Amino acid sequence: MLMCKDLAVIASDYIDGELGTGGKLSVRMHLMMCRHCRTFIGQLKQSTVLMAAHSSQQAPADYIARLDEEIHRALTQGIGSNQGDY
Amino acid sequence: MRPDTLDAPEDDLVSRLQQGDAAAYREAVRLYTPGMLAVARFYLDPASAEDMVQDTWLTVISAIQTFEGRASLKTWLHQIVANRAKNRIRDRHREVALDTDDPLDPALAERFGDNRRWSVPPSARSSDSAQALLENNVLSDCLDKHLGQLPEHQRSALMLYEAHQHRAEDVCNLLDVSAANLRVLLHRARQRIFLMVEGFQETGEC
Ligand SMILES: [Zn+2]
Repeated sequence: MLMCKDLAVIASDYIDGELGTGGKLSVRMHLMMCRHCRTFIGQLKQSTVLMAAHSSQQAPADYIARLDEEIHRALTQGIGSNQGDY
Repeated sequence: MRPDTLDAPEDDLVSRLQQGDAAAYREAVRLYTPGMLAVARFYLDPASAEDMVQDTWLTVISAIQTFEGRASLKTWLHQIVANRAKNRIRDRHREVALDTDDPLDPALAERFGDNRRWSVPPSARSSDSAQALLENNVLSDCLDKHLGQLPEHQRSALMLYEAHQHRAEDVCNLLDVSAANLRVLLHRARQRIFLMVEGFQETGEC
């Protein structure tokens, strides 16, 4: 029988729809009986949405500025232009 | 579910890049650099990753002429970085050591008793929507901090899958990991974020 800890192991697979029919069914049965796991799944789902929505991990501004500068230099020196077959 | 085809705005960006339009490069650098860094950092230390992404952009100036749109621009750029990083570690006879043995975060695993039931269940907190939570600036900063503290491998996988919306298959390819290992990396990262949000909502502190 699927216990809480087993469910925690496969929780992401359940959320992402990666479980087979049998697996899905035992998770649903467990969730009907266990409110702690319902809370857990709900909150893990929410964490996933938070992550996806969060536009963190921007590259550092000074690094981006350095890239702009290097690319600008390369473009104005003509590196890249007139290359390739086009 | 995650279409990987050229959309019109991207098509336009590509042709501007091919014309050497400086503004297009500034736009593309901002759009794609975070993902390129996520790929590079999976394989390399942060400083080498930054150097490699910079080199890649300089290569792109000529390589973009041969871009055919078989993959999206995003995937194409991420793939160039991945290939270069894989070659680099191959040359140095290094391997990426993954921690994918245990699907449960230790801090979560210890919250179950010997009977495999919750001994310290998740706190049933207010059912704020993710959107409402994101509008909380303190939580938002806290999320940043914790994302920054994730192990590099988990973070790269999470960023590419969730924030950059790559298909699982593409992430496996970029990071050279099996589908099963990717599942573990994603699950471990989500557990860290779950634990962070739970702690934050209990204490109001990061
Ligand atoms: Zn349970």
